Amino acid sequence: MTRLARFEKSVLPHLDAAYNLARWLTRNDHDAQDVVQEAFLRALRFYDGLQGTDARPWLLAIVRNAGYSWLEKNRPGDVVALDDAGLVPSDVETAGHEAPAESNPEVILLQSANRKLVNLALEELPVGYREVLVMREIEDLSYKEIASIAGIPIGTVMSRLARGREMLRRLIEIRMRKAS
Amino acid sequence: MAAKNDPAAEPMPARDASYYRAPDALRESVRASLAKAAGEERGPSLRRAFGLAVAFAAVALITWNVAIFQAAAPREELVARDVVNSHVRSLMGEGHLNDVASSDQHTVKPWFNGRLDFAPPVPDLAHTGFALAGGRLDYVNGRAVAALTYRNRLHVVNVFVWPSAAPDAAPVTATRKGYAVMHWTRGGMEHWAVSDMSSALLAPLAE
Repeated sequence: MTRLARFEKSVLPHLDAAYNLARWLTRNDHDAQDVVQEAFLRALRFYDGLQGTDARPWLLAIVRNAGYSWLEKNRPGDVVALDDAGLVPSDVETAGHEAPAESNPEVILLQSANRKLVNLALEELPVGYREVLVMREIEDLSYKEIASIAGIPIGTVMSRLARGREMLRRLIEIRMRKAS
Repeated sequence: MAAKNDPAAEPMPARDASYYRAPDALRESVRASLAKAAGEERGPSLRRAFGLAVAFAAVALITWNVAIFQAAAPREELVARDVVNSHVRSLMGEGHLNDVASSDQHTVKPWFNGRLDFAPPVPDLAHTGFALAGGRLDYVNGRAVAALTYRNRLHVVNVFVWPSAAPDAAPVTATRKGYAVMHWTRGGMEHWAVSDMSSALLAPLAE
């Protein structure tokens, strides 16, 4: 099998995951396609470095890098440094578990929120929170995989998830109130 | 309580958001540009062959000239100088040593994904007294390389790794500016270890 054939067999199946991440980073279809194109070319170039590691997180790390390069060049305002100091991992549990899910009216409210509304709210989040939510909740990656893709410690992944969820919940509520 | 160990207990407000699947047109254009890129990497066209011949001639000429000048400073001497300088620089002040600080080889190894065009082996050597401390990117011998850091009691060791076409070679030790330097080649990777430990004590790194 040629190198390209091997690449297509092991990496191309993750095109959807690559596009989904790029789409959420850039927030539009056309730019996401550009980022994915660039990322696959980079991936092919670095393919010999993959040996034996899982292709999906490896590819997503490259997509993320390509996405951030694109944002820095075209929408530098989108790339803001996050203050991770405020939330330590021990706060995460309390932040995520204020009340049992069934009896929490917020959760019931969220469950009925429609997709479009959640999409809009998620797009409003700063990219650093948005990407960990997308990787965890939409792409089902583990904390460890997210940490290696984003190049941050697992504790930071958890605190960004907690804070991102809190912000997203609030944004959804605001939108729902406006809608009703 | 269970949040860390039981992902099912996490609240997932973004779960209802869209999963965007790649449009068919993108799939086609990615495949096309990959084929094109792969073709440019190999495809032996006439023009390319001519270009290569010219390039080879130029390289041969340059190599011959450089060889004359460098007879007094063989490659290994230059690499040794690079790695010792880099080792010293890595220990100057906070934060120069590691881009990724972790004793877990499964954290350090994937960190290099997409940052280098090769995957450096990251062995766990804790049982030999060398505890993995992390890794970073560095620039040695005219290329981007992986620098792995280990600690042995109060000593820090930098192990620089990059791909090599040379056959396996047993460790060779030397001393430069008071630092122990040991280099070896294994499995297509060239390794250079530098530390202020005695060079005899570096041996477990290459085992």
